[in-house]
Amino acid sequence: MTWTRAFTDDGPVDAGELGGKGSGLVRMTHDGLRVPPGYVITTGACHVYLDRGALPDGLEDEIRHRLAELEAATGKTFGIGPEPLLLSVRSGAPVSMPGMMDTVLDLGLSREAAVALAQRSTDTHFIADLVARFHAMYSEIVLGALDDRPTVDALVAEADPGEEPGAAFDRIWAAAEEALDDELGESVPSTPWHQLLHAVEAVFRSWNTRRARTYREHHGIPHDMGTAVVVQSMVFGNLDDTSGSGVAFTRDPITGAPGLYGEYLAHSQGEDVVAGVRTPDRVQEALSADLLAELERTGAELEARHGDVLDIEFTVEHGVLYFLQVRSAKRTPEAAVRIAADLLADGTAGAARALELVTAAQLRQAQRPGFDPSALAAARDDGRLLLTGIGACPGQVSGELVLDPDRARERADAGASVILGRSVTSPADLHGMIAASGIVTATGGSTSHAAVVARALGTACVVGAADLEIDDAARTVHTGARTLAEGDPVSLDGGSGELFAGALPTTTPAAANEAMDTLLAAAADAAGSEVLARVTLPGDVDTARGAGAIGVVTAIDDVLAASGDLDRLVEMLLEKGLNGVGALSEVRDAVAEHLAPLLAAARDGGVEDVDVRAIDLLADESRELLQQTAVTTRHPELALPLGVPDLIRAQRGGLVRAAGVAGYAGRLRLAVRHVSDPAEARALAALDDGPDAPAVGTYLTSPRAVLGATELAAHSGVVWLEVRALQAAMFGIPARQFLTAEPLDAYVARGLLAVDPRHELDPVVVHLLQDVPPGTGVRLSGTVSDEVAATLHRLGFRRYAVDLPEVRPLLLGLGRAALSR
Amino acid sequence: MAVTTLAKPDYDVLNVLALKKMAGAAAIATVTGMEAGDVEGRLEDLANNGLAVVAGGSALPTDEAEPALAATAAGIYAPIRADDDVLALVGRFETTNSQFLVAMSSWQQVEVGGRKVTNDHSDAGYDEKVITKIERLVGRLEALLDALAEHDARFSTYSTRFASALEAVDAGDHDLISSPTRDSVHTIWFEFHEDLLRTLGRERAE
Repeated sequence: MTWTRAFTDDGPVDAGELGGKGSGLVRMTHDGLRVPPGYVITTGACHVYLDRGALPDGLEDEIRHRLAELEAATGKTFGIGPEPLLLSVRSGAPVSMPGMMDTVLDLGLSREAAVALAQRSTDTHFIADLVARFHAMYSEIVLGALDDRPTVDALVAEADPGEEPGAAFDRIWAAAEEALDDELGESVPSTPWHQLLHAVEAVFRSWNTRRARTYREHHGIPHDMGTAVVVQSMVFGNLDDTSGSGVAFTRDPITGAPGLYGEYLAHSQGEDVVAGVRTPDRVQEALSADLLAELERTGAELEARHGDVLDIEFTVEHGVLYFLQVRSAKRTPEAAVRIAADLLADGTAGAARALELVTAAQLRQAQRPGFDPSALAAARDDGRLLLTGIGACPGQVSGELVLDPDRARERADAGASVILGRSVTSPADLHGMIAASGIVTATGGSTSHAAVVARALGTACVVGAADLEIDDAARTVHTGARTLAEGDPVSLDGGSGELFAGALPTTTPAAANEAMDTLLAAAADAAGSEVLARVTLPGDVDTARGAGAIGVVTAIDDVLAASGDLDRLVEMLLEKGLNGVGALSEVRDAVAEHLAPLLAAARDGGVEDVDVRAIDLLADESRELLQQTAVTTRHPELALPLGVPDLIRAQRGGLVRAAGVAGYAGRLRLAVRHVSDPAEARALAALDDGPDAPAVGTYLTSPRAVLGATELAAHSGVVWLEVRALQAAMFGIPARQFLTAEPLDAYVARGLLAVDPRHELDPVVVHLLQDVPPGTGVRLSGTVSDEVAATLHRLGFRRYAVDLPEVRPLLLGLGRAALSR
Repeated sequence: MAVTTLAKPDYDVLNVLALKKMAGAAAIATVTGMEAGDVEGRLEDLANNGLAVVAGGSALPTDEAEPALAATAAGIYAPIRADDDVLALVGRFETTNSQFLVAMSSWQQVEVGGRKVTNDHSDAGYDEKVITKIERLVGRLEALLDALAEHDARFSTYSTRFASALEAVDAGDHDLISSPTRDSVHTIWFEFHEDLLRTLGRERAE
């Protein structure tokens, strides 16, 4: 055999020759799974076809020969009775790419075969359905048809189980041919042999569709790689009551709970389960004890071999179990976390494998806070459920109800969380949808424009809430007997589709925590790194600890802003002098007062590492907040890091008092931004504020500081490297532009920057970081990608500070980076 | 109260502005195929007539814009509204639109054990099937766009926009499938749908 290889043939499994799907099926067969017999036409045949535009010499003979083998193996015959052999044909390139031909099922369905099948199944309706499906699938996959076929569907629905099958075949086939002719002016070959050959050629031709070519060019995949073709015998789940088909997951893909989770539909073909035409039963109830045991045993073996949860597509034909496809199971974020933790705990997966089973995005979603369960139950009991629509994008959010996109943006800009309510949504509502935390519309289904936009934005959304009556003029909403005015607080559940009156408090889901802790403990072990969380409010300290942070970082200006005292202090700096008992003693008092609660929370939470950043009057991102222009005009010396050493002493003194009041005895240090010279570091170190004063050090924010980091570190009690500030300095882009989507999104999309400085480390920055002493802490802002975590870990950094929600994803990323090396 | 009707080029500019809600002259010029300078002048005229507000390089339509567009469309597109060929194609568009939105949704969410969860795009094979479907459905609009372009050439700009979005998608910029903030396939489709409704004088149902 030159061009083909049976699944059962021995030899190396080479994806370059057999393609991805083909080598998967060969491997499953070699692993001892009962796979319906089949063969692969290798990529070599494709090369010849593409060269000369015709099938290679000898291939037709080989296909005939393989067909005879399949007939022998299955005891069925191609195109005729009494047991007709039907085939599936699919493409299988060595790498997955767009534009390639998908699967065609039921090839070989001639009139004779259909009649024979009808006699075997004693059900003409089944045959009518099969014929219509085959014709539609061949039309779509091989010929490119898209239209629904209501006339054919109607004929299928009318077909009587007891009628003469030949007549039913003729009627359905003619109607399907007519629909296809109307749509494309094409025809499906009526002889099985031609169906097979044309399908094989269609696979080869699909290698050169415009999309496939473009994709290969952009991804550097050679055009001469070619695709394989997988030809496989079909097994039938819809023959009789001892047949059926199903999908099983080796664990519950929704919760992650152990145990086979699956659905089985007796007397059905695989598409029925997928299409949701009939409601399937649980495998535990629907399968016979023998079959269930076989499925469970095979599932467990496969899971152990792959170290992952698998999705198994199977068919039972006359009581015999066949495996059609085995692949890594899709799962919810909650399930991903639990599965990884369980597989780690039971030894199925080692730490490296377990950490690979959860992505940072899944972890972020799984830790996303939801409505407090008791508050939610109380809201239901109190009759605060206003309406139930269709959940279009999950998420539980509270906010004020706003009925107009312009006003939604105004309110959101003013800092409010907004739930936007609309009757219908048009493209002109987009700015309001972007600003909103949640969206509810009276019309539309889960596949409306509003739903698509909301999901693209990741915004919680309920559509089709028919009970929502909006009175635009009065700015009120009626839901049944209740009336709400714009501005009233509401709570929206984009998963369940519910809208409640009033704001509901949120909490981190408790169920996910235990599994997360197990997994993150493994990650932290491997990473050998300390992760601190940036906090501003005392209440966040416990959350940080719970997420695995070993300490916290905070900034004095942030804490003062959150306490509402910052404006007063800035006014003070503008009015008073900086000497003696002027503005600086006010700063000392304010730091003492407002940092004390945070330090008390640290003490209570057992946190013993607190790094504080000194007020930064230069930071681009707080120009307005700190009235920089006015303050530095009044006191030009404040524009430099050590321009007024007493400002640093005031903060230090305030911290000493705060720690005393709070009873905090852990490590406490103060770091000053923008220091770049060893002389500055020495001057900082020389400030003598008594033996209790926190150690002082620096935040590296400039290329000069980074290049001189070793010497700066020698004189500093603490050194942090601030990645965002450094990247801003390297790109020469004001740091505040890094805080928002625009204008950088559009700029990067235009291809004007090779690196998005908000999400990726610039290679030049990586180069600079090589000589930074490894004891330096790295301060990261916003979401941290796995690539950034891996690069920093590779460079030897072992101490990090991130925004609170990023503690877990960073630990995971660092652990993965450590274990993959 | 008498509603203003617009000259055709002014209609084209204001129509795009109303679809985008906020846009600069350059963005409108790209979509309409007009010169940026021409668009700028027309935006100023529209602002003088109380139909748009221009501030800081961007324009916004006023509340008077929609009625003016509706009144103008009723006049200039009367021949389209009476064209049976177009109307037959519009009938088919409804089906295509539903199929398109289903395809968009299957790009964003996958079914897991009977529940929809966010597509994490880890299954390239699945994603590529969806993209293929989306591309075919966009191809389905050609006949309608061509028929509309015979009445008003500006409709052919949708074909150009779809082509460049799909080309970028094939180049790996998958954000251009459904991003609401870029000229993604869904953005273009959504705007076309809205534009079509205005052209025909119909109300949006959802």
